[in-house]
Amino acid sequence: METTKRRLLIGSATATLMASTFAKIAFAKLPLDLGGDSDAKKTLVRMIRVMFPHKKFADAPYERTADAVFRAAGKTPAETIAFLTSLRELQESGFMKLDDKAAYASLKKIETTPFFKLVKGTTVTTLYDDPEVWAALGYEGPSFEKGGYIKRGFNDLDWLPEPRIEEYAGAGQ
Amino acid sequence: MKQIPNDEKAVVIIGSGAGGGTLAYELTKAGIPCVVLEAGPFLKNEDYRNNEWEAFQQMAWLDPRTTSGSWRVATDFPTLPAWIVKAVGGTTTHWSGATPRFKDYEFKARTTYGDIAGATLLDWPITLEEMAPYYDKAEMAMGSTHRHGRPALPANNNYKVFANGAERVGYKLYATGPYATNAEPYDGRPASIQDGFNFQGDKNKSKWSTLVREIPRALETGLLDLRPESHVVRITHDASGKVDAVVYADKDGNLHQQAARIVCVAGNSIETPRLLLLSESNRFPKGLANSSDQVGRNYMRHMTGSVYARFDKPVHMYRGETMAGIIADEAANKPERGFVGGYYMETLSLGPSFLAAFADPGAWGPEFAEIMEAYANTAGMWIVGEDMPQATNRVTLSETVRDKWGLAAPNVHFDDHANDVAMRNYAYEHAQALYKAVGAIDSHRTPPYPSTHNLGTCRMSARAEDGVVDKWGRAHDVPNLFISDGSVMTTGAAANPTLTIVALAIRQAEHLARELKAGNI
Repeated sequence: METTKRRLLIGSATATLMASTFAKIAFAKLPLDLGGDSDAKKTLVRMIRVMFPHKKFADAPYERTADAVFRAAGKTPAETIAFLTSLRELQESGFMKLDDKAAYASLKKIETTPFFKLVKGTTVTTLYDDPEVWAALGYEGPSFEKGGYIKRGFNDLDWLPEPRIEEYAGAGQ
Repeated sequence: MKQIPNDEKAVVIIGSGAGGGTLAYELTKAGIPCVVLEAGPFLKNEDYRNNEWEAFQQMAWLDPRTTSGSWRVATDFPTLPAWIVKAVGGTTTHWSGATPRFKDYEFKARTTYGDIAGATLLDWPITLEEMAPYYDKAEMAMGSTHRHGRPALPANNNYKVFANGAERVGYKLYATGPYATNAEPYDGRPASIQDGFNFQGDKNKSKWSTLVREIPRALETGLLDLRPESHVVRITHDASGKVDAVVYADKDGNLHQQAARIVCVAGNSIETPRLLLLSESNRFPKGLANSSDQVGRNYMRHMTGSVYARFDKPVHMYRGETMAGIIADEAANKPERGFVGGYYMETLSLGPSFLAAFADPGAWGPEFAEIMEAYANTAGMWIVGEDMPQATNRVTLSETVRDKWGLAAPNVHFDDHANDVAMRNYAYEHAQALYKAVGAIDSHRTPPYPSTHNLGTCRMSARAEDGVVDKWGRAHDVPNLFISDGSVMTTGAAANPTLTIVALAIRQAEHLARELKAGNI
């Protein structure tokens, strides 16, 4: 349903923008297929992983984040076209063939672009808001329903001495 | 619930947070009926969500706002100058709970600090001595730990790191409070279950808020007419210059008018001046109660910052009460440090969702990932100190941006004062040294978040030309208009402001009840 809606938007944008400066872009080559195994999605997933590299995260949270980026990029036809154009440029630059260090360097060059900022902004609020990522980072998520941490380790740190909890009673206070 | 007719000249309170909620309870307890107009919905504790972004969407004040100035918030969060709540109970539903009192010298900032270039320092027209009995009352109402027989909260993991670090660098004034969350059942509310959710609202009701105490008790008196989702758009006045009614939009945008005998504004330090500015008229062309041109000026947000430190062993800082750890050794005026005023260090924890957004806004790459990767082994603290009032740090009305009612959005302009910068750098350094002393592998400095402490903008002054309200919170220009929130603070002090807002509201309520009974208002 949502994909269909996005395709419609892209279609109407194509019509609208044919006469504009965007007309020089060969629309047929834009990565309009944003589905599961598309090259566009693979490129975006790689981009996000290079930006926020966590070896201990599986692919799934990165893929969910890429989906969220596509949703965020598709708010207006103009934004969609701009996003897809930038993504295509990244694809055509050979980004997928670069090693991590070179991939990072290539992203560093575009970090001030609206495209990069959109990916970054959406990722920061999506990738780290994912329960699978929380588990990988050692965060336990909602706790009230489990009775909080009063009996589940709120004070289980054992590598330091037990500190005083009362206010200082010494002289000079 | 009591229904006060719209044409009955009532005591009208705008806002239901620390100031408005407290005032409503104290006045209804004294037999005075009140209308409380709250812009936000009536969320209950069971509605809260143990999820940072969901809770933010549910509770935060997200109406359009703009920013300007050199503060980093204007770059990273240009439409979110402040992180405060739009709901019954106001920002008391979101605060952490730390309740230090202001210090004697902080009520005399101008006298103590002298003439600081660029700062508009002024002494408060009241003293700590006058405030002391109201601090007692506020601490008892809020159930502050370590006070009036209330026991201390136990040490959680984040505190263990914090307090051991404090001891090792030679600090003495550390403890798990004072903190307004129950360590044991008190005042009809249970003990903390250390669930780690504070900014998201406390589902367990262990944390004091006006939602769990003052609002329900005011309703029980049968004298409170609480109207949620009632966004005040204007305060009107009669030909003599006294306020006579409050106009508000309900959730569908229909306008209603409530006649008023007294109006008390407690909308927090951005909405309060905004409403006065929006209520301009021929008689008050610069805005209601603004003949001094001080409405909106001297906006303060505290010198803040955070330090997160990484260890080679687990901490799990998110388990337990967020801010139940306070160091007061630096909360003193020692100009030899290179700045006037003092600051507190307080434990702080964010979940991964918010740490990612706030740790270093805009950052990306392997170094950022490393910060996040170390989450389970991370300890955190907040630094919070007195910032300098400046006339140009100011809430004004936007020329271009409108809210959904078509009203000019507030713009918040802020530049750090050199004193704020010096204090922040000193505090960062000492926070990092504290963690290093207890074995941190690394630590990083997090810039100030969107403001949670919003102060000033309608400051209290002895002379009418220096401020907006007198020592009782009464507008210098309008005898039956009162300000009842943190906007009245003449200077900001170092302490978290909620206790002082509550103490001021209790004091103001006593004054209002006395004046009303004497027929003086």
